[in-house]
Amino acid sequence: MMVTVLTGILVTHVFREVIRRSGWALLSVEKALPKFLIGIVLVCITDGLIRIGLADALNLASHYKTEFMPRLLTVTADTGVMIVPWTLIYYLYHYIQISSKQQLDTFKLEALVKELELKTIKAHINPHFIFNALNSIRALIDENPARARTAITELSNILRSSMQAEKLETVTFEKELNIVKDYLALEHIRFEDRLQVEYEIDEDTLDQPIPPMMLQTLVENAIKHGISRQVEGGKVRIVSDFKDDYHELVILNTGVLNGNRNSDGFGLASTKNRLQLLFGQKANFDIREVNDNTVEARVLIPVDMSK
Amino acid sequence: MIRAIIIDDERLARNELKKLLLDFPEIEVIAEAANAAEGIERIDSLNPDLIFLDIQMPGKTGFDMLSELERAPNVIFTTAYDEYALKAFEVNALDYLLKPVEPKRLADALQKLQLEEDKEPLSDHPISINRSILNEHDQVFVKDGERCWFVKLSDIRLFESVGNYAKVYFGPNKPLILKSLNALEERLDEKVFFRANRKHIVNLRLIEKIEPYFNGGLLLEMKGGEKIEVSRRQTVKFKEMMSL
Repeated sequence: MMVTVLTGILVTHVFREVIRRSGWALLSVEKALPKFLIGIVLVCITDGLIRIGLADALNLASHYKTEFMPRLLTVTADTGVMIVPWTLIYYLYHYIQISSKQQLDTFKLEALVKELELKTIKAHINPHFIFNALNSIRALIDENPARARTAITELSNILRSSMQAEKLETVTFEKELNIVKDYLALEHIRFEDRLQVEYEIDEDTLDQPIPPMMLQTLVENAIKHGISRQVEGGKVRIVSDFKDDYHELVILNTGVLNGNRNSDGFGLASTKNRLQLLFGQKANFDIREVNDNTVEARVLIPVDMSK
Repeated sequence: MIRAIIIDDERLARNELKKLLLDFPEIEVIAEAANAAEGIERIDSLNPDLIFLDIQMPGKTGFDMLSELERAPNVIFTTAYDEYALKAFEVNALDYLLKPVEPKRLADALQKLQLEEDKEPLSDHPISINRSILNEHDQVFVKDGERCWFVKLSDIRLFESVGNYAKVYFGPNKPLILKSLNALEERLDEKVFFRANRKHIVNLRLIEKIEPYFNGGLLLEMKGGEKIEVSRRQTVKFKEMMSL
């Protein structure tokens, strides 16, 4: 009995070293299984041989006196009964430990990617707009000083909120709408009669959360790709209401969709990603031409009933 | 006096520039335009010495507008953002100004214009009775995809017909322009540009070598190394012109 336990400890110890050095516990089950099987058989036979050798040397098995092969088989099987469960437990323990660590790392990485993505998307205000606005304001200083003063306030609001947007995941729709109103007021200085703006806002949607600067980006696109390309100008219309269990935001503008959206589609592609990162897969964004010379951008955000 | 036109889609931007230009009495703003179509019309009818041109405008960009002009005037680009400014440099425009325009930069740009004029005063250009003929001091604006150039006609050595297009050879470049060789021939000064054959118009001042060729024709080697055959019929004319 003593011999069995001692040899058992010895061979499993060697086996464990082999497993550790060759990193079998890191392998997938399919790959690890044949290796373990062969390993177990080898270990059992080795243990059997040692035990027979020891028994013969110490003359403990005199009462057996059977043939060598059947004896080896019996001893090997006897060892196997102990070794197989030991290996299973050993393998499972390590497998679970390692894979849970890996999972944790994956989660951490995903969180980091998400954070980085949001940062990149948020830090997006068009410098072209800022300089054009400043240029208009300079012209206004003589022509209409009062308007120039409000224009400076409007521009400050936009700049401030774009900076704050870095820190926030979501803002209320109301806050975002105010920025957009300032933005459109500034663009109106630039475009004058070429830009008309209409709002159709359900007041109850004002406290819904939306990603900061998202509406702003969409409206900016509506101006950049829509209105500014029309010689006669056009209209931007912003609609916000509830539809089923969604908060629906629609931005309509005069213009056509340009075929290659990749070249300047940063705002569009990232908008959908950003929405789904924040509000899950049910959130959606799409843009299409609705009829002659009108482009519609539509955002759907599932309403969180628990709030 | 330099007669200038301001082309910009924003009224306030035009006003701002006009106001800045009040400090430069040598510049007279003779007209304004709010888009490319208006710009072309004003340029064709008023023939300004200089245009201030916004790059991004509704309909057509400033570059598109320039490439539609028969002859490109002196251009100072104005833009709010330097994305296009680099392009403007590539196209060797006189200069570009970033909006809001810094008065010092405007002064520099106008001084640069003055220097260009001193090198080749406008009054020195032989004023052709027929303005529709381009002389060799005229520059054209060539746009090929994203790349643009202002090219003096005297720097163009060869026009080659490629379908409805013409390939324009100058320096190491050979962009395509949407003009037929026949249309070009009508507009080019025949003392300088010669129709060598059905497919080529050559600049007589930029020929490197002349060799006899089959059937009493000639083979011209241009300064850029291109070899152009002069058809038999044109060879007679060519010899007449060169012997003068």
